[in-house]
Amino acid sequence: MKRTHTFLFVLYFVLVGLSAQSIALGQRLDSLGTAKAKSPSVTLPMREGSLRLAVFGDAGRGSKDQYDLGRVMADYRQAFAFDWVLLTGDNIYGNDSPADMKNKFELPYKSMLDAGVKFYGSLGNHDTSNQRLYAPFNMNGEEYYRIERNGVSFYALNSNYLDKKQLDWLTAELAKDPNAWRVAFFHHPPYSSGGRHGSDDEVRAVLHPIFVKSGIDVVFNGHDHFYERVKPQDGITYFVAGAAGKIRKGDLKDGSRITAAGFDADLSFMIVEFVGDDMHFQAISKAGNTVDSGVIKRRD
Amino acid sequence: MKFVVNTYTLLSVLALAALVTTAQNASTDLKAQDVRTDTLVAAEFENRVKEYTQRREAIEARLPRMPKQTTAKQIDVHKKALLKRVLAVSKGARRGQIFTPEAESLIRKIVTVQYPERNREELRKELAEAENKTVAVKVNALYPEAAERLEMPPTLLLTLPQLPKQVRYRFVGTSLLIVDREIHLIIDFMTNALP
Repeated sequence: MKRTHTFLFVLYFVLVGLSAQSIALGQRLDSLGTAKAKSPSVTLPMREGSLRLAVFGDAGRGSKDQYDLGRVMADYRQAFAFDWVLLTGDNIYGNDSPADMKNKFELPYKSMLDAGVKFYGSLGNHDTSNQRLYAPFNMNGEEYYRIERNGVSFYALNSNYLDKKQLDWLTAELAKDPNAWRVAFFHHPPYSSGGRHGSDDEVRAVLHPIFVKSGIDVVFNGHDHFYERVKPQDGITYFVAGAAGKIRKGDLKDGSRITAAGFDADLSFMIVEFVGDDMHFQAISKAGNTVDSGVIKRRD
Repeated sequence: MKFVVNTYTLLSVLALAALVTTAQNASTDLKAQDVRTDTLVAAEFENRVKEYTQRREAIEARLPRMPKQTTAKQIDVHKKALLKRVLAVSKGARRGQIFTPEAESLIRKIVTVQYPERNREELRKELAEAENKTVAVKVNALYPEAAERLEMPPTLLLTLPQLPKQVRYRFVGTSLLIVDREIHLIIDFMTNALP
């Protein structure tokens, strides 16, 4: 009887000990970021020959979160072979020495860079102008530029410094643009429901009228550290994709009249596919969950 | 008699009209003179900025040419070499060489007249809370690479004299700086730029 009691006593402590170890191990795995996110689940059509890309911003902190999300992106790339990435600014926080560029950009996205994915930069308020010369950002020495592929034009703008020269360039480029699909990406959001920053009225005052007049269909921004899809404004869909390095939890204003969808509970990024007159999009959290998805029709 | 009175009335009205017209012309002349003076001050300001950028370009031309796309290492080496040489020739630079008192007055006038008070108020608030508010503002000092570069409000930027691409306006508090965009050198600054 006594032996049985002793055995049960020992068994109890062994089990409790094992259980505590598992919890501690689980916590350690989480904190190391090695806990696996969900397997990729792509909702986009994945048509052969379609233009596929990822979009994110405010990433360059060199934080564990940034690396974790980088791994989720790389996983998604296995399922949805995007080969372009649009960066919505704040690519490198703090200094941008060679070591910083390595730790805050080259290493977090190493597998994508090694696979030949091309990143296209735009400058945020934490970026220096010298980033325009950094080859992996593909800015060709310019703070603002246009690239095109599969009949889609992408306009990278420098919203830190929208001077006359840049606005004249944008207007002239749009006037001669042969492509029907027109997308702009830059840092400061003309429309956002962020409590910390929110809509940038100044940027909106100069850019939105040009966009409306010249047929911009979709705009990708960063700056606010969350994901938001804004209800179409004069036919233009604005996205805030600024949660790739740090999340500002609960910053999306409750009851905002401009929000179509939003996610401010964790880091996120977007994947996008252009098929004919449709732009399919999916926003994915660090845990691998789809937090928004849908289709946007090109404006006539 | 009635005819005489009417004539006097008419003459008085004509004299008054002439006086008003003269006063109006004088005011128009003054305004035109103001515009001419402002244009001249702005042009001189732009020339002084250009002198800096030309000097800087001449220095940069003697350095190994930077490709449009390069490595972080090469960007860093180039930036440091350019900064060293620009500093060497700018040793005696002092405040007010670009923002002369006339230029400062002009910029305050532009800001006051063309940038609405409610926008100025909002910007002042934003600048007071900005991360860069502790940056030391001094000619020939470096704007810290790690400090935030606040967006220049575009509707204000469009009213200020245009700068060449090598330099930028930037706010720190209510001081308006001109900063070299590549080597982050503060070229000059004015205080109280948002009256």
